[in-house]
Amino acid sequence: MAQLLRRAGFGATRDQIDNYLEQGYEETVEELLHPVHGDPEDQDFVDRYFVASVEARTANHADPQWAWRLATNPNPLEEKIALFWHGLMAVGGVKLDHGLEMLTEIDLFRRFGLGRFEDLLLEISRNPGMMYWLDNQNSHIGAPNENYGRELLELFSMGIDEQGEGAYSEEDVKTAARAFTGWASAVTPPPFFLGPFPMEFRFDPDDHDNSEKTFLGQTGNWNGDDIVRIICEQRATARFVALRLYDFFVSDTPNDEEIERLADVFEANDGEIRAVLRDIFNSDHFKSEDVRFKKIKSPSDLVFGTSRLVDRFELPELDSGTLANNTLFMGQHLLNPPSVEGWHEGEEWVDSGALIERINFASSEVSRVDGRGVQRMLARVRDAGDELDGTELVEACLDALGAIDVSTRTKLILIEHAEGYGVPWEAAAPDATDRTIEMFQLIVSMPDYQYC
Amino acid sequence: MSLENFSYHDTIGIASFLGRGFMNPVDLRFDSTGMLFVLSRSNAGNKNVRVSAVTLDSEFQFEFANWGTEPGQTTLPTALAFDSKDRLYVSDEHMHNVSVFDREGNFIKRWGEFGSEPGQLNRPSGLAVDSDDNILVMDHVNARIQKMTPEGQYLSSFGSVGSGPGEFNFAWGISVDTGGDIWVADWRNDRVQRFTADGEFVSTFGTSGSGEGELDRPSGVHVDDRGQVYVADWRNDRVQVFDNGGEHTETLNGDATLSKWCQEFIDVNPEQAGWRENAGLFEEEKRFWRPSAIETNPEGLVLIADACRHRIQIYSKVTEPALV
Repeated sequence: MAQLLRRAGFGATRDQIDNYLEQGYEETVEELLHPVHGDPEDQDFVDRYFVASVEARTANHADPQWAWRLATNPNPLEEKIALFWHGLMAVGGVKLDHGLEMLTEIDLFRRFGLGRFEDLLLEISRNPGMMYWLDNQNSHIGAPNENYGRELLELFSMGIDEQGEGAYSEEDVKTAARAFTGWASAVTPPPFFLGPFPMEFRFDPDDHDNSEKTFLGQTGNWNGDDIVRIICEQRATARFVALRLYDFFVSDTPNDEEIERLADVFEANDGEIRAVLRDIFNSDHFKSEDVRFKKIKSPSDLVFGTSRLVDRFELPELDSGTLANNTLFMGQHLLNPPSVEGWHEGEEWVDSGALIERINFASSEVSRVDGRGVQRMLARVRDAGDELDGTELVEACLDALGAIDVSTRTKLILIEHAEGYGVPWEAAAPDATDRTIEMFQLIVSMPDYQYC
Repeated sequence: MSLENFSYHDTIGIASFLGRGFMNPVDLRFDSTGMLFVLSRSNAGNKNVRVSAVTLDSEFQFEFANWGTEPGQTTLPTALAFDSKDRLYVSDEHMHNVSVFDREGNFIKRWGEFGSEPGQLNRPSGLAVDSDDNILVMDHVNARIQKMTPEGQYLSSFGSVGSGPGEFNFAWGISVDTGGDIWVADWRNDRVQRFTADGEFVSTFGTSGSGEGELDRPSGVHVDDRGQVYVADWRNDRVQVFDNGGEHTETLNGDATLSKWCQEFIDVNPEQAGWRENAGLFEEEKRFWRPSAIETNPEGLVLIADACRHRIQIYSKVTEPALV
């Protein structure tokens, strides 16, 4: 269960794990796969305390909005799937510095991210931010700009292999670009004196190439939505989506057999992402030792997972508004991916500088002794016994931190440290809280905590 | 929609991270000389908070209470109030205190600390001053109004959490009318409550919704010298006007023209002007976006802090001809 909550969300407290265990694994999977969309109950709070994020003129101004959802959304898969698609169909503030539109796009991923892939591709193709980001407002009849058509095929749907070859031709790219002529973002007023105005999609039929086109072997007077439909009929698309979902939710190391199987699930379910994820989460492979604690946490996993663990925020506040800065310092600028390729997952997340940021952040969070979550963690350790030997103290702390596993070597180091202060640890001793907090800090500073 | 009792007068402001202009203005007050003080809330992370002093003919004077935690600085400022000696009080929801300045912006002192005991504060929002120069603080997470001396000594309080009469749910703006009654924008209860100066519940109006007279998270309330009640109907992006009995009389949706400062910006940035022309969203430009607070003056002007458009929209009461 803890593995499911780490991958489909950002981890969970021990209490949450217990509640889900009572509910049952498959029932929890279904709950996660069916979030209720709409304005969250506490949206007014975020707007009130961060009024500049209501009219987010830049990506940075929008940070408090998404950071709050990432830190508190009771259905974490809604945010996790938005994060997944935001990394795959990346739009960044470096060019589209329009926070309102960035938030609109994140919400698009929440609403369509678990549904049919074709619907999602259509929505993103009508997203004014994406049209601007990939220059489609400069794509005109007789002078198509190939940027969107190329990235649609290469980065969003069919992909390329290690040799840079795709299951499509250069001619297909050009045809896709012709089919998307006339799809653009409407002009919006400059934000510099009155703040931003919402962006809008605009289709101009007079600027659309209405001639016959041959795309992936099919000939007709194709428009952009036809291109999306044809793309979604391709096996390469099923395999690409399966691969990317596997990378993000299961393992940094591809498994061809699993990916082919997931591609079959994708095709058998009309490209519904929910069906693929259901298959992933319920599979023996996902639950196996082969993948447990083998995936490097992204900065978002680490920052929002730890914030959730310590249950830090009751109301939006200054620190919740700057959580996105913490992921930035670790290499993930949330609303500003480095390029249209998004972020590279896996070990690339961690270099020496990022590792220090990660350790410092996590260590600081679990030492907030007045925090609600830390208080509950301390109570869990106290409940483990009035007197604990080194091994028992370490086991109790690992369990209190959300049932996390560590290697045998790490556990021995932790036990040695616990025993170094003298055993038994006594719940009633004056230094019991300090010793427990120190153990929490030591655990989240170990390499094992960098994995999920 | 045409206005009956008001006419659009003017707009002051331009989005600006510092100096001339505002960044998310959430409150505004006149001092005794008619100088307008505007509180820019901004985004805490972007650190553009400040109080700006401007004249009604758009002359920027000076600014103070900028970002920080040191005395004389603010972090999440929320509201302003002047007392009879022209001392300006600024509430701060992050530092849980109230800072006091003179009308030149010189820091005098600050008082308040986090907590729920009498005199302690948890996210102070709306401020008002009664006829005895006592300071009323909407201690909003503690769901109470505390009456304090100008020096910050606790005098009394009323209110508790809930939705019944005299109870508050994250209330925000407050106002004291000429008779001494206290009016509260009971934000999450979508209503306005009226109390006597002693905190006795008098009446309430407003229910959740977007219809006439209905409210969606009212942030500010102001009662003018004739007893008209103005409510910043925050999430409905409008200001509603009520009579003293709570009967709806008019709705203002925003009629802004380009301010003097915006016009100057446009004039020297022809590319931006062209961009604006091509977009053609002139009607949308006029409308309020999260209006947060209202102030009036004896000359019949009604000023509205248009928080997400970084400006002050000004109306005049046509039934009481403006004198300016």
